[in-house]
Amino acid sequence: MEFPLIFWSVVLWMIAWGVIGGVVTPRVFLRKDMDISNAPLAGAFVGAASGPLGLIPLWHFAPQTTNRWVLLSAVGTVLILVTAFAVADPDNVCVTNGDLVASQITNGLVMGTIYGLMAMGLTLIFSILRVVNFAHGEFYMIGGMMVYYVSAVWLPGTPPVVAVLAACAITFVIGGLFERIFLTPMYDGRVERPIEYAVLVTFGLAFFLQYFVQALAGASPVKARRFFDFPIIRLPSAEDPWLIKTSKANLTLFDTVSISNPRFTAAVIAILVLLVLLFFLYRTWYGKALRAVSQDRQAAAVTGIDPHRMNMLAFALGGMLAGLSGAVLVQAFSWVPQVGMLPALRSFVIVVLGGLGSLPGAFVGGLIVGLVEAAGTGCIPDPQRAASYIPAYGMIILTLTLLLKPTGLFGRKE
Amino acid sequence: MRRQIPAIAGSLALGFLAAFPLVYGAADYDYIMHLWITAFFYAILASSWALLAGYAGQFSFGHMAFMALGAYTTGLFNNYFYLTSAATGTCFEIPFGSWYFVVLDPIGISATPFSCLDAAREAWAGNVVVKKPSLWFGILFGILVGGLFGWLIGRLVLRLRAAYLALFTLGFSEILRSVLSAELNITRGQAGLELDPLFPNGITIFGAVFDATDKLPTYYVMFALFLACIAIMLALERSRFGLFVRSLREDEDAAAALGVHTVRYKVLVFVVTSMIAAAAGAVQAHYIGIITPNILIILQMALVVAMAVVGGLESIIAAAVGAMVLYFLLEFLRNSFTIGDVTVDMTTWRLVFFGALVMLTLRFQRNGLLYPLIESCTRSGVAEETVAKRVAGASASEDAEAAK
Repeated sequence: MEFPLIFWSVVLWMIAWGVIGGVVTPRVFLRKDMDISNAPLAGAFVGAASGPLGLIPLWHFAPQTTNRWVLLSAVGTVLILVTAFAVADPDNVCVTNGDLVASQITNGLVMGTIYGLMAMGLTLIFSILRVVNFAHGEFYMIGGMMVYYVSAVWLPGTPPVVAVLAACAITFVIGGLFERIFLTPMYDGRVERPIEYAVLVTFGLAFFLQYFVQALAGASPVKARRFFDFPIIRLPSAEDPWLIKTSKANLTLFDTVSISNPRFTAAVIAILVLLVLLFFLYRTWYGKALRAVSQDRQAAAVTGIDPHRMNMLAFALGGMLAGLSGAVLVQAFSWVPQVGMLPALRSFVIVVLGGLGSLPGAFVGGLIVGLVEAAGTGCIPDPQRAASYIPAYGMIILTLTLLLKPTGLFGRKE
Repeated sequence: MRRQIPAIAGSLALGFLAAFPLVYGAADYDYIMHLWITAFFYAILASSWALLAGYAGQFSFGHMAFMALGAYTTGLFNNYFYLTSAATGTCFEIPFGSWYFVVLDPIGISATPFSCLDAAREAWAGNVVVKKPSLWFGILFGILVGGLFGWLIGRLVLRLRAAYLALFTLGFSEILRSVLSAELNITRGQAGLELDPLFPNGITIFGAVFDATDKLPTYYVMFALFLACIAIMLALERSRFGLFVRSLREDEDAAAALGVHTVRYKVLVFVVTSMIAAAAGAVQAHYIGIITPNILIILQMALVVAMAVVGGLESIIAAAVGAMVLYFLLEFLRNSFTIGDVTVDMTTWRLVFFGALVMLTLRFQRNGLLYPLIESCTRSGVAEETVAKRVAGASASEDAEAAK
């Protein structure tokens, strides 16, 4: 970085005013007897984006902090950060190379879609059972392992669809069984502190599954073959394929954005699954029943829905969604029994950011986290350091969300 | 009589542990001593986690982060700070009486690091005294830093409950791990930061000379730390602090309404348990001699959770004993064996077994496997006594009625 002083002083300035805004604004609003649920978030962003210039009018006029306000100041904050970065480091690849930026953004969106799929399983479980499944990453890992073993070891030559379905089936069954055996005592008050019990018992499950798979499959990395090869397409013409150009393993758009085959497949499957999931949740009886239980357990029970069965269904489905995202990603990354750790942490970040229990929140949160990670890995000057910090980007988002708006972007008030 | 069993067993066990290094003389002496030292380490962590999670209801998955903070603080202190009798001219230094307090530049990851002090040493040609400040200061700093971060985290999580708290602390732990492995110019990352042994020049106890690699002095240091931590926690548990902290767990709002300063006690319990974890981490780091960011992987946290859960979350002693029992089990289950032509790799299967044990314990024996044993002894006869007292009270009041 050429002028690190500029960048870090801007960052410090923004943090300082952000903290002031985040701490003082709720007090000011409280004194004026106003709703303060959005105040820390709005105050922090306004402070970070505009410093005293924005904060003093905010405190003086104390407008209702609508989402539009928050969004505007958030965009402002991000813009200022980006500008400061560009000014401080004019030679950085992210500043000089527009193509790289475009492909990083595409990459971020593609990965974000897949993250969103995975986070949906977690948020589905939470919205019904009020439980955070700490074994989510292990379901993801098992999904991928299943695809590898079915398609490469047990039945070589099986079509990928069968392998993915097998992965779905096994994670669905594990989820359902676990819920029946270990989570049922939560529902009827046999456990004193059900939430804590669930945290511990799913943590135990994670430990168990991880080492169980390691004991059976070994700890050496495996990787599945890609599901299919791209057909060779050159558009508009074979000589000058500036619009679309594919090779077996890669897809290039507009000569700049390059997406690898496994990621492309995974993202397309993720979007299809999302559509199916939405159809299931909004158009079928079971889906409606699930949503009813998540909205009001007692009322749902009165109308003849058995909440206990819905619990089981939700846990099994949630595990299956994680398994599915593992199943489509095993062709893109190498797979070890510990592989679920990072995606699980990422899913936690996403669901907290989007609002625990909110499905659109999980999707939007997935995209945001995907973009932030792409920016973080692409633009930080020292690549090795950037890679080591991957888990930290998400965790910083998590920390900020929990401090400023614990209900998340789309969360309901508890 | 039965009520005395835990106390008797406890004092026998303590006597056994105190005498063990002097009496035991088998060929695997060093190995067994190593097991005991590590068992004490885990026992301190598990029991302090039990205080945090079982008593105060704060299910934090960041306990190992505080341990690592203690370990890395003392590790950095041990590697970066020197006292010299002349100015180096190349390092950052502060005059300090007739001495100079020297802070090295980041040491980097090369196998033979060359620091600014080494440069100065060449120039001095050996006539300047260079020494390290006592590593006990480093351990002290480690404990303080652990407490400071405990305070900070405690403040930050005030509003978070249950699952949110678990996620946040897990996040803290992961951030710390990425920082430690990313900033490898300072921490040496996965290459590992080397530390001096607890007694770098050996020690003489009652005329017996022990050199730096002997386990006996470290054993007693760890044992003393273990006893001190348990004593502190038991004293806290039996004071108002223990009551208040338990009221946080049961119902925070009700506790606040009854006048418990919930904010203060929540932060305080974080500070105390973090300091204890940091102390254990700092001493263990000097004992092992090298630390990497892997000391705070989730597996380590999972082990501590498993130990506390299997022992009994709601008792400090049960968690500590559980930790020791589980640690020894873990070690003795290490041996792989062969049935027919199938080799069972126990290094992995033992962890599977532990995962299953944790889940089953939680499901069917929520108070842990050891705590109910202790409880059944200490509370035996309480019911009969109460009944007897009631009967006596009732007859006494009847007598009083009759006397009227």
